[in-house]
Parts: sequence; C-alpha cells; structure tokens
Amino acid sequence: MSKILEASRAGALAAPARRPFGLAAFIERESIFSWLMLTPPVLFLLLFLGYPFFYGVYLSFFHKEVARDATFVGFGNFVKLYNDPIFWQSVRNTIIFTGVATILKASGGLAMALVMNQDFRMKAVTRAMLLLPFIVPTVLSTVAWQWILDPGMGLFNRLLVVSGLATTGPSWLGTPTMAMISIIMVNTWRGLPFFGISILAGLQTIPVELHESATIDGAGTWGRFRYVTLPSMLPVIFIVTTFSIVITFFDFQLVYVLTGGGPANSTHLMATYAYSLSMGAGQMGLGSAVALSMVPVLGLLLVLLTLYVRKD
Amino acid sequence: MAQPTQSKATRRSFLKLAAAGAAGAAAGPWVSRKAQAKPVSITFARESSYVKNFDVHFQNVMAPAYEKATGIKIEYQIQAAGGSAVPQLVSMVENKTGADLAWVQQEWLYRDALVDVSDIAEEVGKQQGGWYDEIKRLSIDKGKWKSIPNGNIGQLMNYRKDWFDEAGIKSFPETWDEFLEAGIKLKAKGHPFGMSMGHGFADNYSWLYPLLWSYGVTVMDKDGKKVALDSSETAKAVEYVKRLYKEACIEDCIGWLDPHNNKAFLTSQISCTNNAYSIMVSAKRDLPEMGKVIEHGLNPKGPNGQRYHALVPVTHGVFGYSKDPQAAKDFLRWMMDPKQYRPWIASGDMYFAPYLHAFDKVPEWDIEPRVKPFQKVLETGKLTSWPAPANRQHGEVINRWIVIDMFTKAITGTPTKTAIAEAVAQIKTIYG
Repeated sequence: MSKILEASRAGALAAPARRPFGLAAFIERESIFSWLMLTPPVLFLLLFLGYPFFYGVYLSFFHKEVARDATFVGFGNFVKLYNDPIFWQSVRNTIIFTGVATILKASGGLAMALVMNQDFRMKAVTRAMLLLPFIVPTVLSTVAWQWILDPGMGLFNRLLVVSGLATTGPSWLGTPTMAMISIIMVNTWRGLPFFGISILAGLQTIPVELHESATIDGAGTWGRFRYVTLPSMLPVIFIVTTFSIVITFFDFQLVYVLTGGGPANSTHLMATYAYSLSMGAGQMGLGSAVALSMVPVLGLLLVLLTLYVRKD
Repeated sequence: MAQPTQSKATRRSFLKLAAAGAAGAAAGPWVSRKAQAKPVSITFARESSYVKNFDVHFQNVMAPAYEKATGIKIEYQIQAAGGSAVPQLVSMVENKTGADLAWVQQEWLYRDALVDVSDIAEEVGKQQGGWYDEIKRLSIDKGKWKSIPNGNIGQLMNYRKDWFDEAGIKSFPETWDEFLEAGIKLKAKGHPFGMSMGHGFADNYSWLYPLLWSYGVTVMDKDGKKVALDSSETAKAVEYVKRLYKEACIEDCIGWLDPHNNKAFLTSQISCTNNAYSIMVSAKRDLPEMGKVIEHGLNPKGPNGQRYHALVPVTHGVFGYSKDPQAAKDFLRWMMDPKQYRPWIASGDMYFAPYLHAFDKVPEWDIEPRVKPFQKVLETGKLTSWPAPANRQHGEVINRWIVIDMFTKAITGTPTKTAIAEAVAQIKTIYG
C-alpha cells in the first residue's frame, strides 16, 4: 500500500519537471507562488505602517513645525522632553493606566471565561452579547460613557442616589484620581471581552480526561482550577496579556473623548500628549519624539512574546 | 491527482484577476481626473455651523449662484465640529493637498502656507466700514493679510434668569466678586455654576483669560518677548478661581470639555456657564420652557475696573498649494461682497458676528434681544494672545492648556505659587 503511495507521489513531483520551462510553471512553484502571495500584504504594511513609522523616527530628530522646513536637532527633542514635567507625568499616567487596566482585564477575563464555560440556558446568546463592548466603535461607546459618568444625570450617580447609597454621587471626571479611575474603568469594560473570549477558547481545549483524573485523585473545584485549568491556560493568558498591554499602551480615543487629558494633565497619556504636541501645537518633531519614546517599552514586550512563542 | 491541477488553475485565475484589478485601480484616478478637468471646481472646507441654516444657505443659495455666474462648482466640505478641524487642516497643509480654501482655525500654525489676500481685505474693509482693530492682529502677518475675517463666535455668560430671580439677584453681576456672591447663593439653592476648566478649546479660555486680564495680568508682554504672568496679581486671580470653584461651582467642571457645560446646563444641573449662544438655540428647539428663561450676561469687571471678552475668530484663507489659488481668491472676494455676505451672516442669526463696522447698526442685531449682547464682545474682545502677537508660541501655550492647568492645578492641591511657577517655566520653554 505504502509503496503504491510513494510511487504516485514521486510521479506527481516528477510530472511538472518534465514540462518545458515557462512563466506559468515558474509562477506555480511553491516558493515563488508563496512570495507572490506575500508581496501585496508586505507592501501594504510597508506603505501604511512602515512609512509612517520611519517618517516618525526621522521627524523625531528634527525641529519640524507645520508648514515649515525641518532642521536637524539630533537628540534635541528628547532632551527637551527629558526636562518636560508634563512628559514625565504622561509616562507615569500611561504606566499606571496600562498596568491597572491590564491586571483588571486579565483577572476579570479569566473569571468571565470560567463562568461562560459552564452550561446554562441562553449560553450562546450571552457569549455573543459579551462581545458587544469590543464590537461597538470606541468613540461611540465613549460618548455613551460620557453620559453614564455625568455627575447629575448619569446612570451611575442616579443609581447611587435612587438606591439610597449616597445623597450625591462622586464627580467621575472632576478630580484627578477619579478621572484616572474612570478611564481605567472604561478601558477595562471595553477590553474584558477580548480576554474573556480568548481564554474561553483556550479553556475548551483542555481535555475533559484531565479534569476527570484529577477528580478521581481527590481534587476539589479549587484544586482542579489551581493544578489543571490554570497551568493549561498560562500560555493563552500570557499572549493575550501581552497583546492587551500593547493596545492599552497606545490607547488614545477613549481619553481624547472623555477627558482630553485633563483635569490638570492627570489623565494625559503618552499618546494624547504626542497628539496635542503635534496636531495642537504644530510641533511635529517633538510630538514624534513622544510617540517614539513609547517604542522601546513595547519593543521589549514584543521580543519577550516572540521568545516565549519560539520556546513553545 | 485531480486536486493539484484544480488548485493550479485557481491560482492562475486568481493571478489574472489580481492583475486586472490592479490595472483597473491604476486607471481609475486617471479617468476621474480627466473627467474633472472641466468644469473647474473649488473645494471650501468649514467646520459645521451650530446654526444649521448658515450651512444650508451656503449650500442651497450661494454655491449654486456662484456656479451659475462663473461655471465653477463649489465643493462645500463640512468638517465635524468639536476640535477635529485643526488636525485636518494641519494634515492638509503638511501633505499639500485638500481644500483650496478653508476656515483656517489656528492659522498661526500654518500661516506660511496661506497666500496673501491683502487686496481683498483692504477692498472689503473700505467698502464695509472698516475692520475691528483686534482681529487685524490675527489676520495680518508681517504686514500682509493672510486671512479674511468672517465672523466672531461670541462667548458670554449663559445663565438661568428664573433661578437668579429666585435667589434675589435682579441683574447679572457686574464684578467678579459679585459673581462669586451670586454663585454662593445659587449653589446653596442647589443650582451651582459650571465654569469649564478642562482640556477643551473655547469655553475654558473664554472666561479664564478675560478674568486674568481684568486682574491686570497678561500671559506675555506686548512684544511677546517677556513672560508677564509671574505677578502677585496672578496669584490673586488664582485664589479667586479656587474660591469660585469651591464655593460656587459644580465639582465636575474642572474636567469639562466643550460639550459638557452645554449638557449640564440643558439638564438643569447648573445655573450659569460661559458659552456661545448655542445653549439657547438648543433649549428653544428642544426645551421651550427653559428656552424662555435663558439670558446672556457680559463677563464681569475685575479689580482693574475693566471688562474683557475672548474672541473666537472665524477666518477664511487660501492655501498656496491649491492648483489655482487665484480662482479660490476670486471666490473669497465674491463671498465677502455685501450682496452675498450680509444675507449669509443673517441666515446664521448673527452667530458669526462680522468684524466689520458696517454691521454695527444693522437691524439683524435686534431680531432676538438675547443675541444683542454678543455684539459687545466685538468691542471688548481680545485674542487669547493679547497683547502679544498671535503666533505659534502663543498657540502652543493655548493647545497645551498651560494657563488653564495653572488654575486647575491650584484647585487640586498644588500651592498657588508652585502652580504659577510651573506655568511660567513652561511658557518660558515654549517661547525659548
């Protein structure tokens, strides 16, 4: 049987080689064809991601104002940023924002996935509904959040007042601490389904036998979670978390719509600060330098991710 | 054996299809460009007007009239309101493509990309009673007009007359101290003030800068060379705002962007804010009862006995990269002709108040008595750069909210002295 198969495979491989050389045959070679297929997306990436990125790197070494020629300043922009307290505040804010939001999303997402992995009525509908925050465009949902967080008419404060928990609710965007809490909350709300659904997909790949044998060995619910579920899920959680850190680190729309970086710069992230410098103040070079400062941190994360995936 | 053959056929047909698609895409722009070559069109970009009729009048009356007269089609590109127009203009200028002429918001950022329109400005000024002086300091750069002022969006105190009456305040406060007193009374009755102090783009400056000025303080000196903010009067102004916020305002307002105060006013959460008359327009349309009790008051006077307002200018400029700047200039000249200009301004219910003295006594100002006070803004209004030139550095101070944040930092716990010192240091860095 295997001999017959081998013979036919050899025949199949030999067949094209016997044909005269032509363009069609050349294109049909696996190595050539795969490159032909790869070229458009690679060109697309170079054009729409590579070009702006390298232009940004170029700009960050120049003093460039809108509608004026650029002059080379070397590391001048970075020195300026080093001495700029608002820049450092935006760095601090970005790290706090990304850190807290990611922890909340990862733990919340895991919990969400565990619940969604149970059998209950309307499971499919509920799962689909949970994806909603992720599907609705950020700008739209953030405008809705503006209303939810409104001090007097907002859903949160109305609930607090109506339920008798408080006579007046807090000012969600009116104090530096509350504004930071609010943007973290909205980011978590939006990012949770990404974690939930990804981890849920992972959960479903854990063989039932593992759980069964653990149960036979005397493991309770916690024991099965601690020694079966969690170790099996770690690779998924790691990858999802890394992706989420990257996305959260670059978050812009949410803050731009909700607070504009205020009050008193308490919610200015590096992305919103870069935008306000480039587009608002017309300092393209300085703005690019802020944006570029985000790259090393993210680069490090990506290297870690790649190393981890390779090891696997 | 059949399978590989099929897959090869699919690959080949896919390649053919892709090649045809690429050829089509390449031909597309060429074909459309050819088709557009005649008739010539001019693209005019403007942020959407709060008074809808202003845009409708332009689209339904003016654009067709110009096309009929000259054969040139006017493409009216309406930009979304809410701060996104400036980035759009900046990218148009940087990429040297886009509209031929536009409402050139924050023109100090890209004046070098605008063509000289002095001939139009001088002609219009001569014909229509002359320009208000302050606006010249924005439109004229190095002796040349780089934009044509179209109108001012007046910002005044919007207040609830019924609640002010209830609190026994018969007329709108004349001084900032009286304003504070009124606010304390109203807050006690559950109707606080809501003075925007966040990272917005007009409703924050429109009262904080006039307040500073009326304390005798300006950000820079007249030449724009020396920082003038570092003074004991600034400290007094900051202390005043701290008190006003704490004793008279709703807590939320230090984080407010421009839509927030409209929303809070229309939902009866605040009794007073600084805004254009858009709140009244919305109320008259959607909340007729409230529409009857909204009034507009002038910014109060400060310790120096002066009253100031901040201008929010609308100016039109022609981009140098335009394929035919002369055609765009001709259109701009035609727009400013009283035959077109006056009905256009009237269609917007004077929301855009002309900087021309010919409009000082026109009956259009008397149609809605509550719009009339906005005329006063032209008389006492200053650019946010005042008295220094409206240049890029001034724009950077504005767009990085340096002065606004000086106040909010002090409110959120930074000692007043430190908040001022930090602002001064930032401004010094910006002005170099």
